[in-house]
Amino acid sequence: TAGSIVVPYGHVIGNEKWRGSELAQRLQGKVRLIFEDALGLVDFHLSNRTCVLLISEADLVAGDEFKRRLVRFRNASSLRGIVIVEKTQISDQYYLGVQKLVVLELGMVLLPVANQGEASQLIIQLVREQSRDRSSSPFLGGQRAPLAEAAGLRAVQRIPGVGKTKALLLLQRFGSIHRLCNAAIHELEQAVGQTGAQQIYTFLHS
Amino acid sequence: NSRVPGEHSPSRAGNSRVPGEQSPSLCILADSREICSGPEVLSCLRAVHGLRVQVCSLGTSDYIVSNRLAVDRLLQSELQSPGNRNKLGQRLQRLQGIFERICVIVETDRVRPGETSRCFQRTQYYDGVLSALVQAGVRLLFSSCQEETAALLNDLALLEHRKDAAIQVPTEPEGHQRDILNFYLSIPNLSYGAALNLCHSFGSITAVANSSVPALAAGARLSRPQAEELHRFLRHDFDLQLLPQPQPLPAKRKS
Repeated sequence: TAGSIVVPYGHVIGNEKWRGSELAQRLQGKVRLIFEDALGLVDFHLSNRTCVLLISEADLVAGDEFKRRLVRFRNASSLRGIVIVEKTQISDQYYLGVQKLVVLELGMVLLPVANQGEASQLIIQLVREQSRDRSSSPFLGGQRAPLAEAAGLRAVQRIPGVGKTKALLLLQRFGSIHRLCNAAIHELEQAVGQTGAQQIYTFLHS
Repeated sequence: NSRVPGEHSPSRAGNSRVPGEQSPSLCILADSREICSGPEVLSCLRAVHGLRVQVCSLGTSDYIVSNRLAVDRLLQSELQSPGNRNKLGQRLQRLQGIFERICVIVETDRVRPGETSRCFQRTQYYDGVLSALVQAGVRLLFSSCQEETAALLNDLALLEHRKDAAIQVPTEPEGHQRDILNFYLSIPNLSYGAALNLCHSFGSITAVANSSVPALAAGARLSRPQAEELHRFLRHDFDLQLLPQPQPLPAKRKS
C-alpha cells in the first residue's frame, strides 16, 4: 500500500529494493537513510507528507506498467508524490506523454534527471527543502504589501485629467475610492473645480 | 494626466478578432516581452493550436492562461545561476499574491546554428531551486523548445477551460473602456484577467466600488480572499500622512 508512514525528522525512509544500489550509496552520508520493506509503490519517503516514486529509463521503455503504478498510487494515497523520471536520449521520446499524465492529469510533481547520480543529488536537495522552515522559502509569502496609500494615489491618477495634485486633493477630501465614487458632483466641484468635476464624475459613473 | 504613454495599454499586435464577435477559440494573454523572447511560442499558439493570443503589457508573468493560472517561461540556464535568485524569488512571490495557481515552464536553451550543443551541467543550485519551487506549490513543466512550450500552454488552456476557468471576456477594450481598464490595472494584486472581467461585468467603477465581496468575486472571477482584498482597497481610508514626504515629482518611470 501507499499508506502514511512516520518519517523521523531529518531522515529518509527508502524501499528495501534500493538497498545496495548506486542511488542508495550516493544518498548515504548525505541524508540519514533507513530501509523498510513494506513501502509498496513508494521508493522513498522524504517526510510524513511527501514521497518519491522513481521511474527508470527501463520502466519507460518497457511499456505502460509504470503508468498503472502511478495511477494506483494516486488513487490510494493522500501523500504528495514527487515522480523522478530518468530522461535519457533513449527515453526522451516518452517524456512529453509522461509529463501530460503525471502533471496535468494526476496533478503530481514530475522532475527529470539524466541518471541515478542526478536523482540522488535531487533527492538530497528535496530533503533539505523539506526540513526548511516554510517562512524561509524564497518563493513563498514574506513579501510586504506595498503601501495602500501609494497605490490609491496611483489609481486616482489614472482618472483622465487627474494628475498628482488633483489626486491628492481628492483623496484628502473624500478619503477612500468608495467615497470618491459616491460623491455628488457639487462636492467634486468644491475640490477640483467645475470642469474637472464633470470629467471625474463621468469617468467614475459610466 | 500623468499616465505613462503606452503603459498597460494592450498592444494591437496580432489580434485578428473582429470586435464584438464572440470567439469560440480559447484565449490566452501573453506579455509583450514574449514577442522578442518567445516568437515561436506565440506563432505556434496561433498557427498550430488555433488559440487567440492577446499580447499586452502584463509585467507580472509571461502568460495568463485562465482567470486563476499564470505561467512563467524560464530558460534552464536562468535556473542554473544563483545570480537570478532574488529576481526570480520576487517575481514568483508577487505572482503568488495575484494568482491562485502558478506554473513555471522550464525550457531548454536553444542551441544557435554553428554552436556545438552545450552539455547541460546540472548544478546543486539548480536542484535546490527546483526543490524550492516544488515546496512552494509551483507547478513545473519541462520543455525542450519553444514549439513544445506552446503545446504545453495549449494543454494548460484546455485544462483550465474544462475547469471553467478560461478567460471569456473581450480582451481588447476600446476608448473609454481602455481608460477604465487602466484604472483597474493600478489596483494592487489584481491580475490583468481580473481587471478585464471587472470592465466586462460591471457598468462603472462606481458599481464596482459599491459591490459586496461576493459580487466582486463573481464578477471578477476572484477567489474569496482576493475579492476581500479588492473590497478592502476600494474602501480603504487613505492616510496621506503615510505618503513619503516631501512629495516627489510625478513619477514618469514604470513602477
